[in-house]
Amino acid sequence: MLQPVSVGLKFGFLIVLYLFLFWVATSSLFDLRRGFGGRGSGAAAPPDATGIHATVDPLQVLGQEFEPRLVVDGALGHKPGVAYDLASGATLGRGDVEIQLQDPFASTRHAKITRQGRTLVIEDLSSTNGTYLNDELLNGPAPLRDGDQIRIGDSKFSYYQ
Amino acid sequence: MRARNRELFGLVPAALLLTAGFAAVFIQESGKLSNVSLVYGAVFLGLCLAGHIFIRITLPHADPYIFPLVAVLACFGLVMIYRIAGATEARQQAQWFVLGLFLFAGTVMFFRDYRKLENYRYLIVIGSIVFMVLPRVPGLESATQTQTYGAYLEIHVGSVTFQPTEFAKIGLVIFLASYLRDHRQALAEGRKIFGYRVPPLKHLGPVLLLWGVAMLILVFLHDIGSSLMFYGGLLSIVYVATQRVSFVVIGLVAFGVGAWYLGTHIPHIDSRVQAWLYPFKPSLYNAQSGSSYQIANGLFSQAQGGLFGQGFGQALLTVPGTHDAYVPLSDTDMIYAVITDELGLFGAAALLLIYLLLVARGFKAAMLARDSFSKLMATGLSAILAIQVFVIVGGVTRVIPFTGVTLPFVSYGGSSIMANFILVALLLLVSDRARRPTTT
Repeated sequence: MLQPVSVGLKFGFLIVLYLFLFWVATSSLFDLRRGFGGRGSGAAAPPDATGIHATVDPLQVLGQEFEPRLVVDGALGHKPGVAYDLASGATLGRGDVEIQLQDPFASTRHAKITRQGRTLVIEDLSSTNGTYLNDELLNGPAPLRDGDQIRIGDSKFSYYQ
Repeated sequence: MRARNRELFGLVPAALLLTAGFAAVFIQESGKLSNVSLVYGAVFLGLCLAGHIFIRITLPHADPYIFPLVAVLACFGLVMIYRIAGATEARQQAQWFVLGLFLFAGTVMFFRDYRKLENYRYLIVIGSIVFMVLPRVPGLESATQTQTYGAYLEIHVGSVTFQPTEFAKIGLVIFLASYLRDHRQALAEGRKIFGYRVPPLKHLGPVLLLWGVAMLILVFLHDIGSSLMFYGGLLSIVYVATQRVSFVVIGLVAFGVGAWYLGTHIPHIDSRVQAWLYPFKPSLYNAQSGSSYQIANGLFSQAQGGLFGQGFGQALLTVPGTHDAYVPLSDTDMIYAVITDELGLFGAAALLLIYLLLVARGFKAAMLARDSFSKLMATGLSAILAIQVFVIVGGVTRVIPFTGVTLPFVSYGGSSIMANFILVALLLLVSDRARRPTTT
């Protein structure tokens, strides 16, 4: 007597299951496209050769605040939370530089942050123990992005703009 | 729809599926519609909601599809286990599911900044390997059966049994992701010999170690399934870290040679291969040990399913007229065969699609992650999950020799559910960090 119900439930189960899968698949496909910069952005946006000098609308720049700064997350001799202004760049190291480190693993002149317009670039100054940007050993100059983490020996900093 | 609302929406079909599944099983069992199925559905929805609210508070930016996909898998597991093994086992499975949710919450709370895991990477790898060989330690091995069908997989502490390999897979992925984060460049570059890049030997160490671990699992635990799962998963991290196909080729050849040698010299593995090659040979089918009975009947069972399956509760579980299992271990290793029997090709394909989407979401999290450790860890965790599904489904469908690993979130078994909840917690943590909008 309940045979039709049973069959109905089986097909109902399969239909709901496939609808669910269809929903996940379509919405995550859209999500995947968005992850790479939106639908058809490759044709609309001008090709950006370096990826550093992104074209910025000048009107937008005026409205936005730009305060590049280095915040101490944890470093010997520095108070956590203190922010250093990077508006004109800075050099990090154990010697006589703008941001002095007391870290035993730091070199005298360890790393240099320079400003190029609205982009700040960090470069390792051939230090002995290297500079880590987001836990990756720095290999040549690299542009800094908001929220990046910089580590020299045991000293840790975050970059904000 | 906002991400978290999508997640909430996705949980509704999961609860509906559970209700429908239980209703169908009850009809088959007692011949009447029972409102108990609604209660089960409501309880399940409640549990998922609790998980959802926890994620909403702690991981607001995490991937919204992973949790609903896991919930649907768990729903498959609960319905099928109730139907195959009975109410006691299903209740047990549900308890493990709850425990798994707590473990999930614990992992998220405790490893909020999962990158601190890196500080303990050598502890984690040594712990994992020791953990894995524990089943061979006298006194810890299973009291009732020293081996689980020829492989050493379980340990007994008091009345608790668990499978350490399920947890060890996560530990090894964390270690390798952390190690390769630091050494991938040296590994990828290397020196050129005869126009071919050879990585420096000292950096090859961990890759050789992996090969060693895989062989160790084969030799000590007699387990091809776990061995293949570990090796495949870890090799995929090496590939992603170095972008060198040669590592994969060399790795697979090395594994093949090792597996072939051990396969022909360890009788247990050899009998598995024989059963895979000739499942319908009468002498093997009727053999007392190393029989192909399970694989052959699993194939019959899947064939009976047809396109849409026989319906819930209709599959043949015991040999007619006796109490012998028609498909042995149908609630753990062979659960895929019973699902195919009852829901057909479409049901089985849907199950595989769930895993496919889950793994795709994992890779997506890896792609969005900003630092290499997160990238490599998410890749490794997703890959090992994918390969685990491949190993067990491949075994049941006779693509590769059959070995017992669990079907994640579906098979009956506490270790598997809990370990996989930890895995999902780590994936969501990576995903949350990757999708968090940068503060200005």
